[in-house]
Amino acid sequence: MNAPTSRKATPGRLAAIMVTLLILLSPFLWLLQMSFKSNDQILQFPPPLIFTPTLEHYSALWHSAFSASFVNSLLSASFSTALALLLGVPAAYALSRWAGRGKHALSFAILVTRMAPPIAFTIPFFLFYRWIGLLDTITGLVLVYTSFNLPLVIWMMQPFFDTIPVSLEEAALVDGARTRTIFTKIVLPMVTPGIAATAILCFLYAWNDFFFALILTRTNARTAPVAVVNFMNYEGWEWGKIAAGGSLVMAPVLIFSLAVRRYLVSGLTAGAVKG
Amino acid sequence: MSESGIDGERRRFIAFALTPSLIVLFAIAVLPAIYLVVTSLTPFQLTMPGSATDFSAPLRNYGLLPGDPRFVNSLWVQAKLSCWGVLFQVLFGMLLALLLNVPSRLVEFARTFFLIPMVLPPIVVAVIWKLIYTPDISPLYYAAQALHFTMPALTSSVDFALTAIIIADTWEWLPFTFLMVLAALQTIPDEYSEAALVDGASTLQIFWYVTLPFIMPILVISGMFRLIDSVKAFPLIFLLTSGGPGTVTEVTNYYAYLLAFDTNEIGYSSAVTVVMLLLVAGVSLGLVWMGRRREAMA
Repeated sequence: MNAPTSRKATPGRLAAIMVTLLILLSPFLWLLQMSFKSNDQILQFPPPLIFTPTLEHYSALWHSAFSASFVNSLLSASFSTALALLLGVPAAYALSRWAGRGKHALSFAILVTRMAPPIAFTIPFFLFYRWIGLLDTITGLVLVYTSFNLPLVIWMMQPFFDTIPVSLEEAALVDGARTRTIFTKIVLPMVTPGIAATAILCFLYAWNDFFFALILTRTNARTAPVAVVNFMNYEGWEWGKIAAGGSLVMAPVLIFSLAVRRYLVSGLTAGAVKG
Repeated sequence: MSESGIDGERRRFIAFALTPSLIVLFAIAVLPAIYLVVTSLTPFQLTMPGSATDFSAPLRNYGLLPGDPRFVNSLWVQAKLSCWGVLFQVLFGMLLALLLNVPSRLVEFARTFFLIPMVLPPIVVAVIWKLIYTPDISPLYYAAQALHFTMPALTSSVDFALTAIIIADTWEWLPFTFLMVLAALQTIPDEYSEAALVDGASTLQIFWYVTLPFIMPILVISGMFRLIDSVKAFPLIFLLTSGGPGTVTEVTNYYAYLLAFDTNEIGYSSAVTVVMLLLVAGVSLGLVWMGRRREAMA
């Protein structure tokens, strides 16, 4: 039997979908094309839709302080991802196998930490870092990012561990294996895809952060998102550079999102920590 | 090895796996929260060294809040931004999901591209809309000029600034509600609408009596998620309007930021933040309660 009329892929419907997609993505495409235009072309009226692309803004960025902030972003996001996985993966396994009473309360507490607005963490972290001298350091950023990445890891990894039958571990237990060996040799290899997806999401959340980096860094540890905004404030309205900087900041995000699109939903419904 | 020996070894491992995370979470999430509440009880200003430990009038900050017109205004702005934003995101997200709910490989492929606005770094979203709202370089203003229509300056106008933020926020988060609703739509058995079709129902009637009741819980839940997260709308406001003109787009989050990091009123800012946290926690609890009820009904 045919699907009902409301669920058929008619040519008219496909056309409507494509037009909607084009309209929705047009602001994004506008940024992208602007990054390849010379400064004269950007201010030209009417805007030329066909032009010879230039990489001048990208190369100018690469030879400026922006490249250093790009490296800062890369370092803080990577280290915080590694730290969150190291702590969170065993914890998620423990929560998955532990039928104790506090389990639901703990899961709820973890969710709440993800829902709190960043400003709530920023004030205490700022005062504390100012006191012990962690302001404007990569270490400081890594610690803050772990405050939202660790709950994310625990939240996302639990279902992966839930899918592994306990009987499998019991068999190994009967053979005399220790729990630690079972965890590292049997359970962990089975959840590798889950770990990879979680790692990418952690990386993206840390990479996307603007608020913490804005307040907790000055010049040494400044991340790429903050650097893009700084063009606007200190170097005047260099639209070409701003567009190229924005494009560079979003490039890793677009590539990685495509890689984990299957897991995107569960990762994002865990209370997005954007902003 | 005895049975209890295995159990004991397993329990020890679980404790060993869980403890580091609990300690770290306590140190980087619970302690800051406690410190925030403590600071909110002081008149702490960075320029006044002794003020951080001055507990002589602990509830002074909270007493000031109701009489602070900027705070009251910021709650009102936040309410407007959240309500309109959530309404548009749920409505357009649902329409988009209905449009894309067709079995086709091509559409499935296109679906990923609809998610782009949501995964972009929020600051890049803000840059994108800065380009759209800046008259000299914006396609919007080019189009208006070509049609001999004078477009008002959006982000610096008292009448349009908040609308401009709502449009950008809706664009950014539309994919989220779209994803949630689409997932719900795909669980509706085709037989339902087929049966309604046989009975002579129109497409609109099928939507109203079959589809809508089915996806209603998901509409509410995704709306609540967005409501909670709408409090975090910082980069858009920071880059597009800086809370202005005046305080037209100054949400509570932004006001707390200005208080703490612009005017150094750390203690008072903490009190504002604590109130904001309580509001968010209230909505979160509502969400959990609704999730439980839904589980119980299913």
